[in-house]
Amino acid sequence: MTQWGFTVDLERCVGCQSCVIACKVENGTPPGIHWMKVLEREEGEFPYAKRTFTPVRCNHCENPPCARACPTGAIKKREDGVVVVDQDLCIGTMSCMTACPYYVPYRWDGDGGYFGAELTPYEAEKYARFKPGTAQKCHFCYHRLDQGRPPACVEACPADALNYGDRDDPDSRINVLLREKKHFRPKEELGTGPRLFYLTGKGGGTISGGGSR
Amino acid sequence: MSAKGLSDMKFIIDFQPQRHWDWKVAFYLYGAGTSAGLIFFEVVLRNLDMIAETTALSGMWIGLGLALLSLAFLFDHLGPASRWRFLYVFRRPRTSWISRGAIIVTVLVLLRLLILFPSIPGLEGLPMGEGTALGGALRATVLVFAVAFMAYSGLVLSSWNSIAFWNTPMLPMLYVGYSFLAGIAALPIIAALSGGTQEVGPIGPVLQPYLLGLLLVNALGLLLYIWGMASGTLPSRESVRRLLRGEQRWNFWLGIVAIGLIFPLLAMSSVSAPILVTACLAIQIGSYLLRDAVLRVGVYGPPV
Repeated sequence: MTQWGFTVDLERCVGCQSCVIACKVENGTPPGIHWMKVLEREEGEFPYAKRTFTPVRCNHCENPPCARACPTGAIKKREDGVVVVDQDLCIGTMSCMTACPYYVPYRWDGDGGYFGAELTPYEAEKYARFKPGTAQKCHFCYHRLDQGRPPACVEACPADALNYGDRDDPDSRINVLLREKKHFRPKEELGTGPRLFYLTGKGGGTISGGGSR
Repeated sequence: MSAKGLSDMKFIIDFQPQRHWDWKVAFYLYGAGTSAGLIFFEVVLRNLDMIAETTALSGMWIGLGLALLSLAFLFDHLGPASRWRFLYVFRRPRTSWISRGAIIVTVLVLLRLLILFPSIPGLEGLPMGEGTALGGALRATVLVFAVAFMAYSGLVLSSWNSIAFWNTPMLPMLYVGYSFLAGIAALPIIAALSGGTQEVGPIGPVLQPYLLGLLLVNALGLLLYIWGMASGTLPSRESVRRLLRGEQRWNFWLGIVAIGLIFPLLAMSSVSAPILVTACLAIQIGSYLLRDAVLRVGVYGPPV
């Protein structure tokens, strides 16, 4: 069975936000909800100051704390490792939001769109997929994966910073990248087993400790 | 904005405060925890014949009301969209502390109702009154569930390692201590409500040693908790900074320390019933503010 994984090349990301927009367009997420985010950090001081960019999204953990925290069983893992929310079971306790160390899930309470209370035809169609009062998070564009297409964020990235592939296939694109470049997993020490790898430079091998703990 | 999550936070790599669990959750943790502490002391002290039956019964009803009010705040926090689906909350007790807590608080409310039934006119003949075998068994069971709920109110936060300030075994211990303290401090207030200062007079000297002991234990517990967190990871140190010197400093120093601990400690030397009742009200304020401040200063570390 395919086990999907994801890589983010921090050397390649230029912070263009294409992935953020592509995710918004593909999934039509309501205002304030960003399944894909590009976080920024300023480092150094003038004249050597620089800005770094870190794309962040659901890591589809092997041991997802959100699923353990959920009292209703609404958060489930598919056989291919993609972690999804069953909106029919979710009651909006926000325990997944508290439990996720990457603060990925959101809760949408369902009032209004980007242009006020009245929804545009695009919004009306897209928001109909979101049940008010339930948790929302990246689902790895599983509807595209099932059709053999890449997630919208990967497809849109102009710098080839985002990649995805089968972790169980040694020749998959991400396994090749992981062999070629140094990498780490976010907050791996918390035992969540994220399926997202940040690539940081040539040489291959694991870099321990990417988190703040 | 109608979304809860990172939507109200800046898109930068930094500490991010949790904002989605607000004062309603804090009131639930305080109200249901205090209600559990109250029933614990009512059963124990009534069994030792240290409080009047009227005080114990009034306390049971008020405690039940407090637990139900706390649950109402929790349902409001879930939002109108959840409706009857809140029943799904019982589905995952194997992994979820929220689910376990829902079961414990439901059983606690049901047990309390069973204990209270014989006090309702027309139901006096039910075989679970004071002194009956079934009544004794119910009261023993309620003690177990009361302690379980007090522990749960801390465990639900400490079980997750996403927020370092909560992720310590000290937090459940502190919450158990504060639930005991607020529970026993509710008794003089209930006595004053049910019988005025005449009712408070006899139980004041009985309760004061317990109140004094619990105040000292909780002050020590709070000190150890904050001391431990101040020497912990970067996010936990940031939480301590926000609590002691940041946005929650007034809540902490004025509400939790001065009103919730120091004033009641000083008031314990007085034999005046009104002062005792005022001190017990101050304990309730401090106890609520502790839950509120602990939630508000919880911060996530950077996600990478």
